[in-house]
Amino acid sequence: MATRPDGDPPAALPVTTELVIGNDLAQLPQLSAALERLGEAHGIATQPLYQLQVALDEMVSNVIRYAWPEGGSHLIHVRMTVATGRVTIQISDDGRPFDPHDAPAPAPPQPGQRSRPGGLGVHMVKQIVEQLDYTRADGRNCLTMSKTCAVGAPPQATQQGR
Amino acid sequence: MNGSSLDITEVHSGQTCVLALSGRIDSTNADQFTACVNRLFAAGEKDLVVDFKEVLYLTSAAFRVLLVATDEAERSAARFALCSVAGQVRELFEMGGLLDLFTVHASRDEALGHTP
Repeated sequence: MATRPDGDPPAALPVTTELVIGNDLAQLPQLSAALERLGEAHGIATQPLYQLQVALDEMVSNVIRYAWPEGGSHLIHVRMTVATGRVTIQISDDGRPFDPHDAPAPAPPQPGQRSRPGGLGVHMVKQIVEQLDYTRADGRNCLTMSKTCAVGAPPQATQQGR
Repeated sequence: MNGSSLDITEVHSGQTCVLALSGRIDSTNADQFTACVNRLFAAGEKDLVVDFKEVLYLTSAAFRVLLVATDEAERSAARFALCSVAGQVRELFEMGGLLDLFTVHASRDEALGHTP
C-alpha cells in the first residue's frame, strides 16, 4: 500500500517516496517497482540502481523473515529519498532488534553443505552502500542506507562529488 | 508492472541443458529458480549450465540456489556450471565472494565446449 504514490516527481530535489508493506515476501515487488520508477524519473544509472535494488531486497527480506519469530501480521515502512548525488533508503519495523553491524561475516561455505551461508545478504549490502546506520527507538528498528550516485544531472553539470 | 520478473528458458544442446535466465533474481522469485533446478536434477539431468547473459541483477537468494545446486550436482555426479557472468552481475558475484565456488565459463559456447 503506497501512502504517497510516486506520480510525476517535481524536478526539484530531494524527492521522497514512502511505502508501507506487510511482512509478506509477495509484497516486495511493490518496493522494487517504486525504486525502479524513482530511478527512471531521476535518470539514475542502472549500475547503482540495480545495486540499490539488491540492498533493498536483502534488508527488507531479512526483516520479513526474521523480525517477528512469533509470526502475525506486521507493517514495514520504507522511505526512499532521491537527493542530488545520493539515494537514501530508510526501513523501519517494530520487530525484534537487529543491528546489521552485529551480523557476522559469512563463513566460507563448505563443500557438501553450501546451502545456507548466513549473513551473505548483509555482507553484500555493506559493500553496496557507503552509509549504513541503525537506530532502535520507541521499540522500532530504523535502518538507513545511502549510496552515492549521479542523479538526473546533465553530463556537463559540475558536481561537488563526495 | 511486475517489478520482479524472472524468465527461465530451457535450451537443450546435445547432452547439455542450458537454463537461460532473464530479468532479476531476488527473494520473491528465487523459489521459481530452485524449483526449475530441482525438477531437472530429479529427472536425472547430468549436465546443467546456467546462462546469466540476460540477468539484470541478483541477490543472495540467487546465490543460495546456486550453492544448493552445486552440492546437489556433486552428490549426483552431474556437471553444474555457470556462463556469461559479466559486468554488473559479475560485480555482485564478487561482492558475495562466491565466484571461486562455481565453475564459470565466459560464454555459452565455451560452456558447451564449442571452440570460438
